Amino acid sequence: MFSYYLKLALISLRKTPFLSLLMIMTIAIGIGATMTTYTVSYLLQKDPIPTKSDRLFNVRLNSYGPDKPFNISQGKEVPPFILTYQDAINLQNAKQGVNQTPLGSFKIMTRTTEQSITEAKMTPIRSTYRDMFNMFEVPFKFGGAWDEIADQDGLQVAVISSELNDKLFGGENSVGKSLLLGNLQYRVVGVTDDWYPIPKFFDYRTRAFNKPRDVIVPFQTQINNELWTGSDVSYQCWKEPADDSFSAILASECVWVSYWVELNSAAERNNYMDFLVNYSMEQREYGRFLREPLHQLFNVKEQLIERKIIKDDGNVAVWLAFAFLAVCLLNCMAMMVAKFHGRAGEVGLRRAVGASKQDIITQFTVETCIIGLLGGILGLLLAQIGLSVTAQLYSHLYAEMLEMTAGIVIMTVLLAVVSAVTFGLLPTLHAAKVQPSSQLKSL
Amino acid sequence: MLSMRHLSKAYYTDTIKTQALQPFDLSIEQGEFVAVIGPSGSGKTTFLNITGLLEDFCGGSYELDGVNVEKLNDKAKSKLRNEKVGFIFQSFNLIPELNLYDNVDMPLRYRKLSSKDRHERIMDALNKVGLASRKAHYPSQLSGGQQQRVAIARAIAGKPSFLLADEPTGNLDSKMADGIMELLKDINAQGTSIVMVTHDAQQAVKAQRIIEIRDGMLSERKNYDKAIA
Ligand SMILES: Nc1ncnc2c1ncn2[C@@H]1O[C@H](COP(=O)(O)OP(=O)(O)O)[C@@H](O)[C@H]1O
Ligand SMILES: [Mg+2]
Repeated sequence: MFSYYLKLALISLRKTPFLSLLMIMTIAIGIGATMTTYTVSYLLQKDPIPTKSDRLFNVRLNSYGPDKPFNISQGKEVPPFILTYQDAINLQNAKQGVNQTPLGSFKIMTRTTEQSITEAKMTPIRSTYRDMFNMFEVPFKFGGAWDEIADQDGLQVAVISSELNDKLFGGENSVGKSLLLGNLQYRVVGVTDDWYPIPKFFDYRTRAFNKPRDVIVPFQTQINNELWTGSDVSYQCWKEPADDSFSAILASECVWVSYWVELNSAAERNNYMDFLVNYSMEQREYGRFLREPLHQLFNVKEQLIERKIIKDDGNVAVWLAFAFLAVCLLNCMAMMVAKFHGRAGEVGLRRAVGASKQDIITQFTVETCIIGLLGGILGLLLAQIGLSVTAQLYSHLYAEMLEMTAGIVIMTVLLAVVSAVTFGLLPTLHAAKVQPSSQLKSL
Repeated sequence: MLSMRHLSKAYYTDTIKTQALQPFDLSIEQGEFVAVIGPSGSGKTTFLNITGLLEDFCGGSYELDGVNVEKLNDKAKSKLRNEKVGFIFQSFNLIPELNLYDNVDMPLRYRKLSSKDRHERIMDALNKVGLASRKAHYPSQLSGGQQQRVAIARAIAGKPSFLLADEPTGNLDSKMADGIMELLKDINAQGTSIVMVTHDAQQAVKAQRIIEIRDGMLSERKNYDKAIA
């Protein structure tokens, strides 16, 4: 019976090709716009690291001086979201978490040893401890993280992205090959494999939707080689460093290092907080931490909201998109009423030869299903176009980031079918209600 | 076979009540050929539609093949209509997008039949009306007489007990009309009851019984000669 209705539906669509196309296009445009908006919103707001987002914490110490707080928000004192170098190193040495690392950054001219100096490119670099790779679940294509010695001694080793590996080494396994950062030679130990955390929760707000940096080196190598790019770090001081030297910055009360710790469970948060308070009390011996110990731990979601990378409330754009879809569907419904009205004669005849109302409803529902399905498939195409346009329009978004997941693809088609059937129900019921005898004089 | 007691029908439009059929009694036995005559607007179509369960009646009772149709829901009524009744209309009412085969197939689709069964019945019906060789043609490729033959094939494909024909020759010239009448007589001879509304007195006299409707009043005509006059 279904195949019969399918055949009738196709015949019906062919009978009024223009109206059918118009209905399909109307659904497609509604679905395309809605799913573009939904996908962007979903992908940008989703949990970037679901397995441990509730036990990864950004650490904030209230290290500011006694005179004035770092910031005040809604009447409450807020500690800085970055740490001083000395605190970062102290926390790192204390090893109170499962994994922990400071995150630093700088920019430098980078090339391979084979390339000439004119081919070098200014490249943003991430500096970190090896814990980061495990902690942020970084996948590797070749090699892996550096070892502990490299962390301690700040060895000149590097992990690079697969994209940079493609560019510089033609995509081959480049482990063991060399890279020049400035005039310092770094040995490649690992190549990451398509690592695109979205949003990039551990970075500054303005960079949250950029790709991760192409080169990652040990934190201590940045320190050892005094690699510092003022424009690349958020750097704030309540007391100026003793002089202009790099060592003075390190010894100063200036904050610039963001710090992340992974705990065994979300429940250990309080223990770690106690540790931070104890640590700051100890530091008072050296005349530091004279303010209230208002230290803070933010898990991934809290960090994203606090840094205003994602919004806490419902997404207005998505609601608007769904409202637009509803408008499209209402339009489609009007067209369905017109189309089904033109088939009253057929309905009357089918009723006369023994079709029940239920049979008519089923027949027309199969037809609206087909319209919805075709609209959904076309809408999926439009959404893909919409996404690539969005990626081009906003420089901070990139194409790989805005790829629909299989779930969203299925959801798109399903949404189209379900909404077509739902909005087709009224015209369908209307068509099935036709008094058969009144229709049989003219067909 | 078919028995109606005190059946009546009124239409209500806004404030106006139209008594389309006054209460009447009627029985029709298996294998009868009944002609229904009367002036335009007298209630012939209404009578036929009620007989074929396409319309509800207002008062009285109606038994079709022993089934009291009053209490049936839409589904049961549709099933009964599908199995017991075949309709033939003045304007053929074929679906232009379907070929002859699929047009005849239509009532069979609303039954649980194997495709082999359906095929046999369709070909049987098309053979009876002499159009089996043109099963792949579309209605628009046929003459009016041929189209009405397809409609008859569609009506008999389900092997109903009743054929209800509403002026089946009204749109045809007399030669074609004669052919259709011959066909209906053949079908009747094989045991199917036929109730046919007609304007044509010549055709009416060929029936065993004549029922006349005037202003919604049903009466039986025993005297065939009077019907001609
Ligand atoms: N659906 C309807 N609603 C209101 N009045 C109707 C309807 N169908 C028929 N009638 C009225 O009932 C009467 C009988 O109509 P009908 O059975 O079609 O007559 P006939 O077929 O003999 O020409 C007419 O007066 C007609 O106007
Ligand atoms: Mg009539």
